[in-house]
Amino acid sequence: MILYSLRRLLQLIPILFGVLVVTFILFNVAGGSPAALMLGKNVSARQLEEFDEQRGFNKPLFFGYWTATRAYESHREVPFPPGWRQVEGARLERDRLILERAAEVPLAFAPRAGLLFRWTVRYRTAGVYQLEWSDAEGENRLDLPPAPRGRTVSLLVRSGGEGGDGRLRFAPRSEREPPLEILRLTLERRMESPWDSQFAYFLRRLLRLDFGESLATGQPVLQMMREGIGPSLLLMIPIFFGELVLAITLALFCAWFRDRWPDRLIVTVSVLLMSVNYLVWIVMGQYWLAFRWNWFPLWGFESWRYLLLPWLIGLFSGLGGSVRFYRTVMLDEMYRDYVRTAFAKGVPLRVVLFRHVLRNAMIPILTQSVMALPFLYTGSLLLESFFGIPGLGYLSVNALNSLDVDVVRAVVVIGTVLYVVANLVSDICYALVDPRVRLK
Amino acid sequence: MIPDAPYGTLIRTRSLWGNAVRRLWRRLDLRVCLLVIALFTAAALWGEVVYWRYRLRDQTPPYNRVDMSRAYRPPSPWSRPFARAVEALGPRASRFAILRKGIANLFEHPLGTDNLGRDVAQRLIQGARIAFQVGIITSLIAIPIGVILGLIAGYFGGWVDDLIVWIYSTVASMPGLLFILAIAMVAGKGLKGVYLGIGLMTWTGLCRLIRAEVIKHRDRPYVTAARTLGAGPVRIMFRHILPNVFHLVIISFSLRFPSAIGTEVFMSFLGIGVQGEPSWGIMISNARLRLWHGMWWEMTAVTVAVFVVVLAFNLAGDGLRDALDPRLRTGDTP
Repeated sequence: MILYSLRRLLQLIPILFGVLVVTFILFNVAGGSPAALMLGKNVSARQLEEFDEQRGFNKPLFFGYWTATRAYESHREVPFPPGWRQVEGARLERDRLILERAAEVPLAFAPRAGLLFRWTVRYRTAGVYQLEWSDAEGENRLDLPPAPRGRTVSLLVRSGGEGGDGRLRFAPRSEREPPLEILRLTLERRMESPWDSQFAYFLRRLLRLDFGESLATGQPVLQMMREGIGPSLLLMIPIFFGELVLAITLALFCAWFRDRWPDRLIVTVSVLLMSVNYLVWIVMGQYWLAFRWNWFPLWGFESWRYLLLPWLIGLFSGLGGSVRFYRTVMLDEMYRDYVRTAFAKGVPLRVVLFRHVLRNAMIPILTQSVMALPFLYTGSLLLESFFGIPGLGYLSVNALNSLDVDVVRAVVVIGTVLYVVANLVSDICYALVDPRVRLK
Repeated sequence: MIPDAPYGTLIRTRSLWGNAVRRLWRRLDLRVCLLVIALFTAAALWGEVVYWRYRLRDQTPPYNRVDMSRAYRPPSPWSRPFARAVEALGPRASRFAILRKGIANLFEHPLGTDNLGRDVAQRLIQGARIAFQVGIITSLIAIPIGVILGLIAGYFGGWVDDLIVWIYSTVASMPGLLFILAIAMVAGKGLKGVYLGIGLMTWTGLCRLIRAEVIKHRDRPYVTAARTLGAGPVRIMFRHILPNVFHLVIISFSLRFPSAIGTEVFMSFLGIGVQGEPSWGIMISNARLRLWHGMWWEMTAVTVAVFVVVLAFNLAGDGLRDALDPRLRTGDTP
């Protein structure tokens, strides 16, 4: 048994890793720049860079020494940043830049002192040009020899020093040099360690349970979640157990009256219940039960009375599906040989149902319930936001609407980890009650 | 089963598919469901025609045209214009004239208008179009992923199988709705996020089923025979094994349709789905606010539409499953 649990625990590691990679890719890679997403469009590059630095987005994604910087951004789509338009003597063409006289590379801001940068220039010219820059070591100069077929030069610059802000100037050697064509110009920042990546940062923060701060409220996300979990559990636990008990009772009832009219009625009603959209349950419940008939309070979270209607709606909306599921489970057992034997030797239906069938049906029921446990934690996204219950579901819907990435990520990551753990627990429970599983 | 027959007599047998169709058609409730699905498809296609017609002409389509003079009109039998028209005809009006007025009125706004004077029936049809699109496109994303990965994993086994099992266990162990919403948030507002979210999160069930089934088929004589004849793995997988497991695809398609519709309604209700066009979720969220003003018809129309379509798909899916794959039978078809 212990061996089985350990084996299962080991299998958990790759899955957990996969889930973390997917979450990371979803939020850090596929989502584009979170800074632009959150701060909006009209912010300076320096603000974006500070935002990125605070949240670790200015590092390489998985591994590497070099990373982009917002001081001078060049992409495949925009090879030269729009700052070049303000530079006199520079002419932007589709895929190259033509300099006719001395020009300084437009930086969005002066980078912080003490960082190591690398400029890479690919140029083409018939004349003789010079590169000038000042850095921590003072004024520097580099000759660019004529290169009619193109040449690439890269130079390392350490920012800082006296007036050394890492600015780069292209200067012709004389007045009458032919123009300089710049085909590519990139600026990269050197990382101190290649392992210092966004992914490592993500994992490290997860291990420290540091989920950052909400952009909307400025509160730490962890604290928000700690406050939200209570109301969510208050809402979901009664729904969970109520549904479990009710659905199993009805399923046993179905099994009792198998293939007679009460069974068919329950099955039909549960298919009908399943087809009603969740939203409709909520809107109708709120309108008729709370607004028209005034049986329940409509909105808020002040006393237990406020939870009655959400409980009721949660119970009914899930009931159809679970009755069908548990009925299938019961009927699967009803056709087994041991049940036939029990009937044949004269055991009454009552005893067969409660002693034989229900016990064996406990295995899938247990699995199903344990797997449903992580969903208690997120609460119900809709129920909470409709009834104003300040739980995690409410929190996530608000965060989704206000693009509060840190909160959404925290909810998703914790939900996933809980789900994976519940998976493990359910397998172990399974093995505990059914010894056959362990031998496989 | 071959019935008892003298040796050498020719027995007429039916294929699995022919049998399934016959079994489906024999049941009246399933015939009704198929009819509802056909109507839904027709409405969606009609909605598509209307949409493109106005889009190509660069006009505001009628379902988005705001006309405050027509706002809050109840469905025709309850609407005041009809009563007024009958009154205007005078007490001695012929029944024929009243009937004609009634019919003319019925075609104007059969389901009434909403708070901005837009026709509810036309918006409902546009909602059917969006729901249909979501059902089809998410299936086009999810089913190929599930089928191809399932076939590869089941056929090759070994480390390929381990890798694919790892991928789908990873995806399956992510809480579905939260990830769908997160993917949609990352992809940006609009239908693209809905398609990607639902499509990328719901292929695991089919993949698992196909893989398990292919493992059973892998060493059947017909596969060995194909291999002996020199067929390559791609040919064996897609020409020989896939037709034998294809019923799983059909069943999965019919069962995922209603849940995709439900998820779309939910997402567009939250404001993540389609923008600037009527979908069922948007109509529900709009109608919910007007319900308090006594505008019951929009809510009723959408509710009934969603309910009927989802119910038809649920029942048809169950029926299809019973007809095509007796082992998956839930045993609850009355």
